[in-house]
Amino acid sequence: MAEEPTLPRLPGPGYAAPPAALFSKGRKRGRMAFGSASVALSTSSDPAVFSSDDDPALDNYMHGGARRKKRYVGSWFDQQPALSESNDSAMGDEMRRPMPKPQARQFRRQLDSGVWMAQDDSTDNDEYSELDLRPAKIVTPSKGFAPSTVFTPSKLSSPPIQRSKFTVQEVHAQECIQKCIDEGTEEVDLNQMSLETISDSILEPINQIAPIPTVTKDVAFEQRDPEIKLYLSSNWLTQFPAAIIHLQHLTVLSLRGNRLTQIPPAIASLKNLKTLNVAQNSLRHLPGELVDLMQRGSTLCELHVHPNPFYRPVEGAKYRLFGADEYDKSLKRRHMEVTPGLWQGKTTVLRARTPVQFADSARNILSEFELPDPDALLTPEEARLRLEDFSELETPAGVADPSPSSERSFEPVGAPSLFDLALRAAVRHPDAAEIEDAIDDCTMYGSLRPGHKTVFERARNIRQLGGQECCVCGRKTLNPVTEWVEFRELCPTIIQTGANGVVEWSRTECLQEAWVPFLRRGCSWDCIPAKAPIPSDTFAAMKQPVPLCLWR
Amino acid sequence: MAAHSSDTCNSKYVTLVSTEGFEYVVLREATLISPTIKSMLRGQFSEAKTGRCVFPEISGLVMEKIVEYFHYWYRNQDKTMVPDMEIPVDLCLELLVAADFLGLDKQT
Repeated sequence: MAEEPTLPRLPGPGYAAPPAALFSKGRKRGRMAFGSASVALSTSSDPAVFSSDDDPALDNYMHGGARRKKRYVGSWFDQQPALSESNDSAMGDEMRRPMPKPQARQFRRQLDSGVWMAQDDSTDNDEYSELDLRPAKIVTPSKGFAPSTVFTPSKLSSPPIQRSKFTVQEVHAQECIQKCIDEGTEEVDLNQMSLETISDSILEPINQIAPIPTVTKDVAFEQRDPEIKLYLSSNWLTQFPAAIIHLQHLTVLSLRGNRLTQIPPAIASLKNLKTLNVAQNSLRHLPGELVDLMQRGSTLCELHVHPNPFYRPVEGAKYRLFGADEYDKSLKRRHMEVTPGLWQGKTTVLRARTPVQFADSARNILSEFELPDPDALLTPEEARLRLEDFSELETPAGVADPSPSSERSFEPVGAPSLFDLALRAAVRHPDAAEIEDAIDDCTMYGSLRPGHKTVFERARNIRQLGGQECCVCGRKTLNPVTEWVEFRELCPTIIQTGANGVVEWSRTECLQEAWVPFLRRGCSWDCIPAKAPIPSDTFAAMKQPVPLCLWR
Repeated sequence: MAAHSSDTCNSKYVTLVSTEGFEYVVLREATLISPTIKSMLRGQFSEAKTGRCVFPEISGLVMEKIVEYFHYWYRNQDKTMVPDMEIPVDLCLELLVAADFLGLDKQT
């Protein structure tokens, strides 16, 4: 009884509560004779606050000039002052006042009601795209760099990005995924849906799929991780959907029959992957990180990569395996534990590598060897790459000849470059379009080299697809400057670990057609393949036979 | 005066001046990571004599970050697994331009 719940303040127009401090001093209040105070309702400015206005509730008596309480209409959370000016009788007032226009009741959020009624059947997912994440201001390059890149207000107030509506196919896919979540199905079948793109927000809910456990009598209940199988084959995807790399429990991934041009390096983070099918795409190479998933003891057992328009070595290229071990050891790799018992899967055998392509930070290629443009249409001849022995390493003028591998340390030493740090900050920028415009302007006025735009775009792409680590020092990089391709042969392998040791069978065919190119990327000009030292007995090394079709 | 100039020439520190005229005194060794500053401090340029490099195109805000980077780089020269330096997102574009200008785009 004593404590009454406090109600929210009344949001009447022109109503300003006097400071609470004024509340305490109770001076007897004379009647306010505000002759024309009723104007206060229509003026935009707040009414003056006097020390005698001690009680905010007394405000209700102040206006109107008469000894009469101000009246409000409407529900308690949305009140409007009654419009009557000079009538004392409440009833008469009601009669004389024109009835408010009947308005259609709108469902909208009442700040106090605590109830939010959705207007349509939109899902929560696309609400994110509505948020305006633009920062208050971009500090633009000062006049010395680019005199005209100062942001004009019109640029800042450019319309926010429209909420991206899903395509019909995407909505269909979304329904499929929702159905899988509801039913606890681990197989997400999105085959032949004519998907050209698929938004991350559609694929992300796949993580919520929880299998319905089988409960049998007398068997202890066991929680198990879901084994999600995602089939996206025979669609028209041109970009690897970035959300896939966050699906930790993915065991089967099929992207067969799409138009993918690259597989992101972050695919190596899918530790539970057992089957990967990327056949019939437009892939020129696979990421070098995928090799990590094809070691003895790894989970990935089935891999379908052919047919794809892969890079191939030039016709009749000679190659020597001498120094391959040295090269292999110099790369950062995640090692797998081989569990005892039978293991059956794929391993790779290194066959050859191309020379290294050196670029500067603005993507000017300095080396003689150049990888073809990944987006260009290539004739089969152009997609053939030159090979280089493991004991050799071409470097462009200006790059010091690398020291023999035994003296090199492959640990990342020293700080990253300021350019890299700034690039990392730039791709984190919430408004990509704005920063791209700014980079365009900077390029136009010559304060950035033209290549930097490409670098920025590539960096953003790398980040979007889960990042890239330097294959030599393991440092994260957004602007890899050295690139080369290594050719490996995939060989089915069986390992039997038993009482009498480890028995291993693997089948190699040594057909150049079966070689698969893996792209390696390094973050600096020091991050290059190891150069195997030429032994004293050079002749023997030259004569080392190239293995031919053998079983061992 | 001659004695003065030879003093500054061999001084451990150099002064970097921004658009607004703010001066930053930095360890000479730390600035040598930038090929641009390195060549300014060499030879017969006035910068080499006075040890004072004026950059009318770099604002104080950006210069401060660059100076911070110089020290960050200097401290971490021989260390492995260096944590990234924080770059505020709103300065990234200016820093990209400045890093390109100062030649700070090579991994060390």
